[in-house]
Amino acid sequence: MSLFGTSSGFGTGGTGVFGSTTTDSHNPMKDVEVTSPPDDSISCLAFSPPTMPGNFLIGGSWANDVRCWEVQDNGQTVPKAQQMHTGPVLDACWSDDGSKVFTASCDKTAKMWDLNSNQAMQIAQHDGPIKAIHWIKAPNYSCIMTGSWDKTLKFWDTRSANPMMSLQMPERCYCADVVYPMAVVATAERGLIVYQLENQPSEFRRIDSPLKHQHRCVAIFKDKQNKPTGFALGSIEGRVAIHYINPPNPAKDNFTFKCHRSNGTNTTTPQDIYAVNAISFHPVHGTLATVGSDGRFSFWDKDARTKLKTSEQLDQPITACCFNHNGNIFAYASSYDWSKGHEYYNPQKKNYIFLRNAAEELKPRNKKW
Amino acid sequence: MGRKKKKQMKPWCWYCNRDFDDEKILIQHQKAKHFKCHICHKKLYTGPGLAIHCMQVHKETIDGVPNAIPGRTDIELEIYGMEGIPEKDMEERRRVLEQKNQETQKKKQNQDDSDEYDDDDEPGPSFQQPAAGQPQAGYIPPMSQPGLPPGSGAPGIPPGSYSGIPPMMPGVPPMMPGMPPVMPGMPPGMIPMGGMMPPMMPGVPPGIPPPVAHRPGLTHMPQVPPAANVLTRPAVSAAAALSAQPDVTKPLFPSAGQSQPTVSGSPHTPPSTSSDPLKPTFPAYTQASAAVSSPSAGSSTVSKPPSTVTSKPATLTTSSATSKLIHPDEDVSLEELRAQLPRYQCSIPRQGQPTAAAPSAGPVGGIMAPQQHGMRHPIPGQYGGPPQGLPGFMPGRMPPYGQAPPVVPPGYQGAPPRPPMGMRPPVMSPGGRY
Repeated sequence: MSLFGTSSGFGTGGTGVFGSTTTDSHNPMKDVEVTSPPDDSISCLAFSPPTMPGNFLIGGSWANDVRCWEVQDNGQTVPKAQQMHTGPVLDACWSDDGSKVFTASCDKTAKMWDLNSNQAMQIAQHDGPIKAIHWIKAPNYSCIMTGSWDKTLKFWDTRSANPMMSLQMPERCYCADVVYPMAVVATAERGLIVYQLENQPSEFRRIDSPLKHQHRCVAIFKDKQNKPTGFALGSIEGRVAIHYINPPNPAKDNFTFKCHRSNGTNTTTPQDIYAVNAISFHPVHGTLATVGSDGRFSFWDKDARTKLKTSEQLDQPITACCFNHNGNIFAYASSYDWSKGHEYYNPQKKNYIFLRNAAEELKPRNKKW
Repeated sequence: MGRKKKKQMKPWCWYCNRDFDDEKILIQHQKAKHFKCHICHKKLYTGPGLAIHCMQVHKETIDGVPNAIPGRTDIELEIYGMEGIPEKDMEERRRVLEQKNQETQKKKQNQDDSDEYDDDDEPGPSFQQPAAGQPQAGYIPPMSQPGLPPGSGAPGIPPGSYSGIPPMMPGVPPMMPGMPPVMPGMPPGMIPMGGMMPPMMPGVPPGIPPPVAHRPGLTHMPQVPPAANVLTRPAVSAAAALSAQPDVTKPLFPSAGQSQPTVSGSPHTPPSTSSDPLKPTFPAYTQASAAVSSPSAGSSTVSKPPSTVTSKPATLTTSSATSKLIHPDEDVSLEELRAQLPRYQCSIPRQGQPTAAAPSAGPVGGIMAPQQHGMRHPIPGQYGGPPQGLPGFMPGRMPPYGQAPPVVPPGYQGAPPRPPMGMRPPVMSPGGRY
């Protein structure tokens, strides 16, 4: 049964970790469960790039580790390797050729993990936890970009201990995304900065946030010519802003939409508003997925401005998500995100990563992307 | 008709000039059309009552009475049925009625005087007032928006517009002036927007409450979420508030096309003209957005991350009657909060000591790979015999806080995709930390 690629029922894909479960609230969507999930909350997920055959998933967690699984076509997930930091791992990314994984941690370092040799070495150092790490592949240079809570954005050639460049940010980096030649960083205090990466990285524009609450996640989207043209920014207030960099009609083209809220139409009880923990764009369709503290994921079509689907509610928040390189697999992680404070943290509660067939559900509505 | 018993023969509605047979019916009409909250549909009894309700329950101000004709939208006049109607309006009404009566009588009597057309008079009085009263109804798009003083007697909301908005689904995001025909199956999610629908912003109102709740800062402006801006754009545009985008120019970004300096700023002007029709069905919102001005949420503050708005712990998570943010009431991110816990404190702040001992966490070294060729002892023995080749993960034993030698990452099988490396890369040990 081919899990990914074309329809067919997956869900039967053996994970074998849990047995029956008919309507278990930990997996109401009956998606494939990844084996050997991390022992603490998952902070990030990333699939291998198309340059590598097969699908490999890496996930970083608050247990200080970053794990790698191979996701086979029949839905089986095979744990492959893992690396450790001395502090929780906050972000991870792949190099463009799929041979290396870069990990960023609260221990203020970033490491380059060579999968072939299963060796990891430190390639970056900050004065504070590193919250975001991305690989930049430009025609004339390649480097790693790290954004930290020490308010700096640094660029590293992995071979040198000193950064190639260090840019000062107005505030702590909360999230970032890179799609050459554009990079977007959202910081504390609702800061939002766009960088251009041609020749060398430089600040392009500081944008007034379209959102009124703390920024939490950002993802760049591309236009029909496959060039980055804007980004989706999520906040803690159950809202995502779609913002174009140079739209013909900003007032009309830029918009925000609410998501991850409870009590949709019921106005008698107060509405619970949850944070948007992550946003990912489908690499083929251009539609996006958002995951929130409410334990749901939703798929949206930003061009048709419609919601495509919302999942059932999981019993834990969904903390990370990503699509694989061809958009057939949607991975999302169910673990506690601290949205209700430390009182609701249960270290014994199991964390999960689920895989879902995304080929059909993310097709755009009407307007072709 | 006899003498004027109550203030005028037949009860009539001051807000929209409609006649009714009975005062009871008139009152029902007023409650349903003029004193009904557009957010929760609660029917109030008077205009001021509605205003107070909106302010207290939804934290929103309204500028005028819904569905009222221009000039009759004063929200502060306490009118209930026929009571409270200002004397001059009463007189005017009488005059109009008399004229109508006379007209009909004249017509009956003087059929010949066809030259005289009384029709001219008719429209007169009734519109004069509104005309005069019509303040700048034009919602002067060019803004000076911030604060289109609601007080200005109601920016003549086109009477019809409000009624057009059927009960808005509160859940609906303030997405755009949506297309009336909401896509079927469009759950209270996004409303398909095809484009700006000139009059109607069905989507807006409902969206407001929650966001509004958090913005106590703006006095009368119900700080409309930027989304609403979309609507307003017109006003907004000018609003210029367009924060001075620090144009670091550099027109890059191929997609940019015309990436002129003022990118975000300029494009606003065009919209203003086009969106006119849009205008404020919800003056409240328009203004707010105006103040807010398109993408910038910062309202007053320009450019710099609006410290005024947001992030103030107090405002951050306002729980209101309508909504509650599930997020700790602080200005820091969830990760920062969590990272402060002792259990997540990094174990040995290694600063690059490439000692073999250091890597307890086995970060580097971990591994096994070189073992590909069966090297059985991978690393400088730190971890005694790590099970290499273990295809599985060490089930959970991972100490949450990275310390401890633990783990051992199972061998990376890698065979297929990766040519077994083999070499204990010179770097083997702790891997060259910087």
